[in-house]
Amino acid sequence: MKDDFLWVEKYRPKKIAEVVGNEEAKATFVEWLKNKRHTKKAVLLYGPPGVGKTALVNAASNEFGFRIIEMNASDTRTEKAINKVAGPATSFVALDKFSTESKGNLLFLDEVDGIAGNEDRGGVSAIVKIVEESRVPVIMAANDPDLEKLRPLKKVCALIRFQQVRIPLIIAMLRRICIMQHVEAEFEALERIAQNSRGDVRSAINDLQSLAEEKRVLTLQDTMMLSSRNRDISMYETLKGFFSAKSLAEASTLLSRSSVDYDDLLLSVSDNLPLRYTDSRELAEAYDLVSKADVFRGRIGTENWHLLKYFFNCLAQAAAVAPQSCKSFELISPPIRIITLFWTKGKRTALATICAKIGARCHVSRETAKHDFVPFVKIMLEKQKSNPINSWLKLELEEVDYLVKMGKF
Amino acid sequence: MALDEEALMWVEKYRPRNLNEVVDLRDIVESLKAFLRTPRTMPHLLLAGIPGTGKTTVALCIARELFGQNWKTFTLELNASDERGIDTVRDRIKDFSRYSRAGFGNVPFALIILDESDQMTGPAQTALRRIMETSSRTCRFILICNQSGKIIEPIQSRCAIFRFSKLDKKAMVDQLECIAKKEKITLSPEAAERIVEYSEGDLRHAINALQTASVFRDGVVDEKTVLQVVGEASPKQVQVMLNKALNGDFIEARKVMYELIGAYGFSGSEIVRQMQRELLKVSYLSAEQKAELTNIIGEYDFRLTQGANSDIQLSALLAQFAKVGKSKGESN
Repeated sequence: MKDDFLWVEKYRPKKIAEVVGNEEAKATFVEWLKNKRHTKKAVLLYGPPGVGKTALVNAASNEFGFRIIEMNASDTRTEKAINKVAGPATSFVALDKFSTESKGNLLFLDEVDGIAGNEDRGGVSAIVKIVEESRVPVIMAANDPDLEKLRPLKKVCALIRFQQVRIPLIIAMLRRICIMQHVEAEFEALERIAQNSRGDVRSAINDLQSLAEEKRVLTLQDTMMLSSRNRDISMYETLKGFFSAKSLAEASTLLSRSSVDYDDLLLSVSDNLPLRYTDSRELAEAYDLVSKADVFRGRIGTENWHLLKYFFNCLAQAAAVAPQSCKSFELISPPIRIITLFWTKGKRTALATICAKIGARCHVSRETAKHDFVPFVKIMLEKQKSNPINSWLKLELEEVDYLVKMGKF
Repeated sequence: MALDEEALMWVEKYRPRNLNEVVDLRDIVESLKAFLRTPRTMPHLLLAGIPGTGKTTVALCIARELFGQNWKTFTLELNASDERGIDTVRDRIKDFSRYSRAGFGNVPFALIILDESDQMTGPAQTALRRIMETSSRTCRFILICNQSGKIIEPIQSRCAIFRFSKLDKKAMVDQLECIAKKEKITLSPEAAERIVEYSEGDLRHAINALQTASVFRDGVVDEKTVLQVVGEASPKQVQVMLNKALNGDFIEARKVMYELIGAYGFSGSEIVRQMQRELLKVSYLSAEQKAELTNIIGEYDFRLTQGANSDIQLSALLAQFAKVGKSKGESN
């Protein structure tokens, strides 16, 4: 059943009723569009991706006969660019009003949280201005309405919240699509696709198409290759998942989805490893693999990114050394090294200066000074604080003090 | 020595000022003297050998013999492990060869002493080789290193190589006794033996130990004082870390490691090197166990050079030690 269309396009809702889930949000939106758009000029629809925000706007305008003028994140949104598109659209409303088949224009700004601070200088304030001056309704959509920069927008528009679509609704919808595509699907297969989508209808349809497109039958077995969508996972989530992974495959999938900094990840894994593996044999084995991962990290450097898969491979292996001993524990973060280096910077520089002075006097490097001289000089100064060697080495009083009080290597 | 204010660290105070005073290096000294008779023909020199055997001393003596009292004007002393990057080295050498106006009396060149040159990376050494070529009319190099094998061949082939071996025990004892006499301290023969034994052919270490011991009891140095000094001055923390790991206490061992890195600024390879040294002294391991652990250290020493984060490699190494320690405990 090869299709020329993406199923998400083919089965895009034409009517409001066809939009799956989020009934409350839908009702609020329709109410606004029908009756309140003159009192409150703008709405902001917010919620996770793929839950039907854009679909609802399209379906509603289709049903009520609005013409949509759309901008989304792929357009540049400097003040100038916004005014160029939105300006005419919002002021020519008067002319359109005379047209019978159209209720007029709707300005739809999709993905407004994609407005970046620098590139779209003035973007947010331009939108606020447009909302204030516009004579047509303005609809905005965003994934994360809490972003600081969108704050000015919240003041001028009504907020409508969208949530993840419930799994049974997604299953029912997938079923309808299967019937229309003449695919015989096991319920468990559709259930797995729906669950895997985490309430994202769009991704569920995409997954269904990729799995079932050339088949007549879809079984649970077919969905095993399915993996969750790439969502950015934070360091905490990554570590949590890493240390509770039950298998090599699970750990690899998790790592490939995570987009945290590799060095931070490596250090955090290293810090937490002894908490995960309390048996010294397991710990040694896991650490050996983390060490190999670090070797690959070193080889990757700044350019050999094709080696990244080997880095992940070693790290994933380290997660799966002993699945049976897995239990939860309190994660250490931030990395011990960073904390240690932060607190001890003063000490380190003090010692480095002393070593430089010894080195200059005794024709040795700072390293040699640290190893071959500092321990002896320290003892001499401990025994006789006024030993003349300190003035010969040009040590300040504080430095003498530091050496005397310093712990031994 | 009118120009030098009197040195108070004995290693400096009793550093030989001319080649005749140098202990126990007769062959090397004789060949060098031959060069110095006709400085014009002196090649670049590469002095290789373990620490404290007189390489830097010999280099400084050469400078003095060539340029007399003004030696500092015509000598550039660089330490490769202190200079960050070959660019700094290049700039300083360039500046120096430009302003030194190469030449003093019958010596047609200025002298550049590059200490710890085996700390330079391969590419840096290649750059150095180029510098040696371009400045060869005005400069002579004395390269000093611990292992000549770490110096790239093109440089080795441009130098006359001198190898410094462990100093003879007798010569070291003589030297210590000579210093003790001049400093008017009482040094018992057993104490001298002990110092020499612990210093493993490193005269600098021996003299530092002697000076430190001399402050303990008003210039009376006996065996007991020496043991005390050696005990206090030897790397404690690494020992502590090693023992903790070998007792299977990984987390505590790692804490010590972070302190070594954090508070004292030790590098990963330094810690590994010290671990290796300390391991040999551990009394409760058999020779076989030590050999096995040394193998492991070797592997991680190599990974350190390849990896990105030294503390991860060290942690991993400690984890291997903890494993061996645990299994040792169980088998007993």
